[in-house]
Amino acid sequence: MRGHGTYIENEKVVSSVAGVVDRVNKLISVRPLHTRYTGEIGDVVVGRITEVAQKRWKVDVSARQDAILMLSSINLPGGVQRRKQESDELQMRSFFMEGDLVVAEVQAFFGDGAYSLHTRSLKYGKLRNGSFISVPPALVQRCKSHFHSLACGVDVILGLNGYIWVSAHVPQNLDEIDTELVYSNKNKEDITPRDRESIARVGNCIRALADEFIFINDTIISFAYEASLQYKLKDMNKKEIMHAIATEATTAVDNMKG
Amino acid sequence: MPSLISPAERDYILKGIDCNIRADGRQRPDYREVILETGVISQTSGSARIRLAGGTDVLVSVKADIGPVLVDPETGEGADKGQIICNVECAPSASQQFEGRGADELNNELTQMMTRFLSHNTTSLSTSSTSSTPASNSNGAGGINLIPKTEVQDLGDGNFDFEVLDDAEDTEVVEGREDMPICVTLNKIGARHIVDASPLEELCTEAKLVVAVNRSGELCGLQKGQDGGIEPSLLLEMIQFGKTLGQTLIKQLDAKIKAEADADMIKRQNGQPVVKLGFFAQ
Repeated sequence: MRGHGTYIENEKVVSSVAGVVDRVNKLISVRPLHTRYTGEIGDVVVGRITEVAQKRWKVDVSARQDAILMLSSINLPGGVQRRKQESDELQMRSFFMEGDLVVAEVQAFFGDGAYSLHTRSLKYGKLRNGSFISVPPALVQRCKSHFHSLACGVDVILGLNGYIWVSAHVPQNLDEIDTELVYSNKNKEDITPRDRESIARVGNCIRALADEFIFINDTIISFAYEASLQYKLKDMNKKEIMHAIATEATTAVDNMKG
Repeated sequence: MPSLISPAERDYILKGIDCNIRADGRQRPDYREVILETGVISQTSGSARIRLAGGTDVLVSVKADIGPVLVDPETGEGADKGQIICNVECAPSASQQFEGRGADELNNELTQMMTRFLSHNTTSLSTSSTSSTPASNSNGAGGINLIPKTEVQDLGDGNFDFEVLDDAEDTEVVEGREDMPICVTLNKIGARHIVDASPLEELCTEAKLVVAVNRSGELCGLQKGQDGGIEPSLLLEMIQFGKTLGQTLIKQLDAKIKAEADADMIKRQNGQPVVKLGFFAQ
């Protein structure tokens, strides 16, 4: 059966876009690689605040329209549980400002198809201590966890919308998080040059994988990181080295699967 | 292309530049891989495509035309000089910000800059033109320029007639091409400066300096952009750095362009077709 992204020629189903084949029983559809993000409820996304509006923030999640984060769907600093008042509305910019990067979960859809996000968990919130990378959304697959701590001391958040956050490792103990600092803009003081190098290296690995249109998950990032160690950090922007790293990482994953 | 940046990202980039590790692992004076191909548009006198590691794509073409010269009526100067008209356009498909009239400001800025840098440095050019363009991020590059030989005939009654030879092989390289400047853009972030800024680094930039240098290392033009200021001591350092980088770039570009021209020549002599990748190649 013919699904999205396909057409029939000479009684055969042919893809009309370059992308990933999706099969549900007999229905065959192709998800294009270069596309906007289409979300589902429960997706972890990384987004950038573009606008502060009445009781809500508009968030760029590389979808067809900006997602919406309601004032009522965030946690207050200090973890107090109460209804949001007018005073909260007046200090919305002290929570999230235009340009801020957030990690959030898709909570619901609005009538016009826009996503409603929430950050009502200590996992979600403002992003710090790292750098931002954007890849095609089709390359990030849904899996159990989208928050990863790699062995090299780098944390990675794989947003299902193709936005990825690579940051210095912050020990996570959900009980001991200083809830006052959830909305802080300050990076931690002790990011060493070594940390920065690892972050840049992981970032370059992700870019190399995306350049070759390879699915991105924590396993392949780790393998790509290992493979990249033989090259100098600043050489990793070269096309042939990116290609070599991506190939080596895919072979390593294939070997592991046996 | 993002137009917003968070305070945490800005701080991370600033401190990263301070300890000489940029977001993609480059050091301050590193620029991304440059891909260059010349002769991509056959209808022009010279053309080139320059690409910076998938970030910026530039298509340059030069068209030599016959037109009136501006002669100073008193001194009679300028009879041997042509004029250069530049136009830079950013494709609306490159970024959402360029849609509609969004790119007008950038287009004007780049066009003006090119015109200024080129027309004041071309005194030695014989009635013709040459080009070099700054990519929206960083470096410029010149196309290879061959103008057809032209025969001018004096009709005796004050009028002239000319004939442009339309043989593609019968062309010559523009005189004065080797004096063309190359532009290097330096971004001042914090107390340091970098080349070939990424879009996010561009958002952290306090001041921008475009340095145009020619082969002999002479400064041909200087332009400061954006709101921030530059300390005089840093300015000197930036100019010096721009000069060194510009000269190296010119040398490397020349070597590459010559190698490409030689390879094409050998193919032509052997009767093989010269196939260009063209602008749409990935």
